[in-house]
Amino acid sequence: MSRIDLLDAETAPISAQSYFAGGDPGPIVAALATVPELLGPTLGFVGAALGDGAVSTRHKEFAILRTSALQGCQYCIHAHTAVAIDVGLSSDEIRALRGEMPIEEAFTDDSERRLIRWIDAMAGATGPVPPTVWDDVRTSFAAHLLVELSITIGATLFLNRFATGFELPTSSATAERLEEAGMQ
Amino acid sequence: MSDTATLEAGSPDPQSHNPVSEAIADGVLPGRIWLYTNYNCNLACSYCLTESSPRSERRELAPATMIEVAKQGRALGFTGLGVTGGEPFLLPWLPETIVTMAAELPVILLTNATLFVGDRLERAAMLAGHDVAIQISLDSHVADINDMARGPDNFDKVVEAVPRLIARGVHVRIATTTSWSVDDVRLKPLRQLVTSMGVAPEDHLVRPIVRRGRADELSIGVEARPVDIPSELTITADGAFWGSFGPTVRGGRLDTDLLLTRTVLPLSMPAEVLVGLLRGMPAGNDARLGIR
Repeated sequence: MSRIDLLDAETAPISAQSYFAGGDPGPIVAALATVPELLGPTLGFVGAALGDGAVSTRHKEFAILRTSALQGCQYCIHAHTAVAIDVGLSSDEIRALRGEMPIEEAFTDDSERRLIRWIDAMAGATGPVPPTVWDDVRTSFAAHLLVELSITIGATLFLNRFATGFELPTSSATAERLEEAGMQ
Repeated sequence: MSDTATLEAGSPDPQSHNPVSEAIADGVLPGRIWLYTNYNCNLACSYCLTESSPRSERRELAPATMIEVAKQGRALGFTGLGVTGGEPFLLPWLPETIVTMAAELPVILLTNATLFVGDRLERAAMLAGHDVAIQISLDSHVADINDMARGPDNFDKVVEAVPRLIARGVHVRIATTTSWSVDDVRLKPLRQLVTSMGVAPEDHLVRPIVRRGRADELSIGVEARPVDIPSELTITADGAFWGSFGPTVRGGRLDTDLLLTRTVLPLSMPAEVLVGLLRGMPAGNDARLGIR
């Protein structure tokens, strides 16, 4: 049960109606619409940060799912487990990113292991990224890719706190998909 | 150095344009801004849009915010202010704030006029001589009918207060909210009563009950779509709304369907959102329905 009202087409502000014209926009939009002037800018930022870029979709999902697992955001873990399935991550890779099995067992590529360690240092710790983690990830990833991923991680951290702090419910469609895939 | 670089600091840029003032000049955006001072009221009228009553949470606009809205509203090209509640005169700081606002733009101040005795009457009289009109609610020339919706003794208090205010030089308007049509002959005795109290006929406003808030729960009043509601920018403690009929309350919950922005200052933010919506909307039926 959400701690704030999730608006629908009937209760959504007149200045946010376009987001509801195509049907239920999901709990994030339904909650953000409470402050309609920030809905567009926030979705613009989140959409750009989590959407297509120079970083591969696979590695973006590493950042989103891993960050959400580190922050314990059930809403985002559920939503991005479904996305991770869609973009072709294996069940083991998803479980490892969710912290349910060791990273080394699911990932054999050294560059991807180094990337996940860097994500862990960015999203699951405080203070600077340890020099060895930084040096390792830079052997495989250009600085601009890491800047882009840091924006993805930042947007994910916002979504994690938003969804967890306000106890947004996993949508029924997502829950059904995860059950079908055995990935609840 | 280019020609534009030689403009003196602070001089207006001839190329700049203000979408809000343009919309007001074009007749797209009404020139009046409404402000909800508070939501609590000493009455609990049956058709109240905001379910206001003595038990309502105050949700008060700060005086500094109201004055800033007046200043910024004038700078943006707005032409008038409307102040409503709840009952505004429950707020001790109201008269001085209204006088300050009236130095920026003309003010219409809505009240139930049931508090105008003793010190409150004399404080209301401070509005005389300023560009302020007090608009008082009176729904029938028959006390029992009026009081059925507005509460016991409401009629008597109003007909006593109106001449007292006028005698002190206050500009008084009367607003009648009715389920009858505006030109119904049954309104004739009320019009006569209003005139007999010293109120000019052109200062008697008759409008229908709008089916929002408590009126919606009671299924009374005219049904209106957003485009049917006058699109005056309306400022409350909960944000900026489309029209003074926007920030309604039903079942204790604020209606958000006509919310524009939670941000009220700078006033240009909600004003420009409203203009953007109005530029893309078809004409409504507010004139035909007489909603004002």
